[in-house]
Amino acid sequence: MLQSQSINFSYDGIHQFCFPDIQLSEGEELLILGESGVGKTTFIQILAGLLKPSSGLLEFNGVQFHNLPSKELDQFRGKHIGMVFQSPYFVKNISILDNLLLSLYLSKNKEDKKRAIELLEQVGLGHKINSKPNDLSQGEQQRAAIALAVVKNPSVILADEPTSSLDDVNCKKITSLLKEQAASTNAHLIIITHDQRLKSQFDKSITL
Amino acid sequence: MNISRLSWQNLISNPLNTTLSLLLMTFGVGIISLLFLLNNQIEQQLQANLRGVDMVVGSKGSPLQLILSSIYHIDNPTGNIPYSEAIKIDNNSLVDLTVPLSYGDSYNGFRIVGTTHQYPELYEMSLKKGRLWSRSLEVVLGSTVAQIHRLKIGDTFYGTHGLIEGGHVHDEYPYEVVGIFNPSYTILDQLILTNTQSVWQVHNHEVVEQGHEHQECDHEHHIEESTVSGLELNAIVPEDAMITSLLVKFKSPIGLIQLPRKINETTNLQAAVPALEISRLTNLLGFGVQTINIIAFIIIIVSGLSIFISLYNSLKKRRYELALMRVHGASKWQLVQLVLQEGIILSVIGTVLGLLISRITLLTITLFAEHKYTFSSFQFNLLNEELWLPPIALLTGIVASIIPTVLSYNINIPKTLSNE
Repeated sequence: MLQSQSINFSYDGIHQFCFPDIQLSEGEELLILGESGVGKTTFIQILAGLLKPSSGLLEFNGVQFHNLPSKELDQFRGKHIGMVFQSPYFVKNISILDNLLLSLYLSKNKEDKKRAIELLEQVGLGHKINSKPNDLSQGEQQRAAIALAVVKNPSVILADEPTSSLDDVNCKKITSLLKEQAASTNAHLIIITHDQRLKSQFDKSITL
Repeated sequence: MNISRLSWQNLISNPLNTTLSLLLMTFGVGIISLLFLLNNQIEQQLQANLRGVDMVVGSKGSPLQLILSSIYHIDNPTGNIPYSEAIKIDNNSLVDLTVPLSYGDSYNGFRIVGTTHQYPELYEMSLKKGRLWSRSLEVVLGSTVAQIHRLKIGDTFYGTHGLIEGGHVHDEYPYEVVGIFNPSYTILDQLILTNTQSVWQVHNHEVVEQGHEHQECDHEHHIEESTVSGLELNAIVPEDAMITSLLVKFKSPIGLIQLPRKINETTNLQAAVPALEISRLTNLLGFGVQTINIIAFIIIIVSGLSIFISLYNSLKKRRYELALMRVHGASKWQLVQLVLQEGIILSVIGTVLGLLISRITLLTITLFAEHKYTFSSFQFNLLNEELWLPPIALLTGIVASIIPTVLSYNINIPKTLSNE
């Protein structure tokens, strides 16, 4: 169970972001829509434990993780949260497969090369496992970023504008991929976007 | 995949920056290490050739030149001294042993030295083949001479006037090889030894020829009686016989205190003390070594700067990678480890390469320069003076990584990921 209550955040102490409460059960999906500047990225970074809210409560399976000490929060994030960003990020000096293995290492998971390769095959990158991130097209990079986010079997998958730079075909593919991966591990899936094309693909959505 | 492998991948993915930093570190460490090795070899070589010689007597001139020419055979002699004066020194009660040296001729650049059997005994030479000379114009070769000129027992050759190649050939006086020494890794490996009379014989004849053609062999000969070990007994010597220098060992340190001063003050001869001259020489060398050391240190510092610039630039480009790693669960210390290891790997590899290259260079110098200078043993182990090089290089790598490390420690994940 992932839930947030009365989350507020301010960068400068003057302008406050107030975010709606959410409550998700295991395997549940949520689409959060909002225009630019309403604090979409801020909200997802709070949900990922990267930003600390000014006030409010964040809880995952009974753990109020926003109050954890820095080191424990790192471990919590590594273990439970997988993130997909608007621009796909990788460690560019190593191959896509090594990026997945590095994620497993940093999150203190077993180095499961077989699973990493299977995952890359599932997202259609079986032939590019040894390619460097810069050698992939934008669509391939976004698919690789999803594999990177889910390789450690996270309990929560957070995606920040994953489709905004993609055409309709790729947009649909990426969304389906995210939903499939979340379903396969019974993870919570939260997508934050301004991309209205996604609205039809989700049963549950809120607007900021 | 782990942090160490990632550090390594980051380094090899920037070959230009990595090569520059490595080259600078390698050169810095290599130059210092080579200087230490050369210094060590030179000192060893200087000591190995000294063989307990307390004093060298020759004609007036530079004492260092006298030592260099008489003991190390790497300079021209200061002149000649009368044989009769050498006998007087030999007869002094403070003197234990004297070895006369007469030279001026060479064979293809190798010096022909007229001396007594005490000379090879002093250097504990052993014969590989043949025997020591028993009469004039018989020679025993040092191992390098025999090896380079492929001379064997029974071969003959002519000496050339002067100590370098290309002088007048004494073609009336063939030398005969009667013995070859085993390698001793001393200067004797590069000498051709014969008796003193051979040198006189060759040169007296020449004096006659130059002086005038009709006075052939008109020198008076008389018998010098020497009762002390150094000079050969009952040697037939020309009245005006000269030798180049005399190596002297004293019975006790009192000789060293009294005799050099007495000779220098009361005779036309010059007495030089090798220990003093060598210490003067090493002091002079030391100054040069120190200067090059300072330059090499500057190179190490520059290599540190290069490591810093390289890490800092690559970190600026990779800061979102570090933020991403934090999102994956990396701790701040893992990022510190990542950056620090890159600096450390560069300095460790640079140090190892530097130490290796200095040894390869020394080995190359030894192989190419064997004709002139023989290094007694090759040093692969770390010298005591070199022991602080690895820590200094490591420290340089760590200091160079401090600022990039602090930056990576304090990276603001949300801001970095939002700005990219």
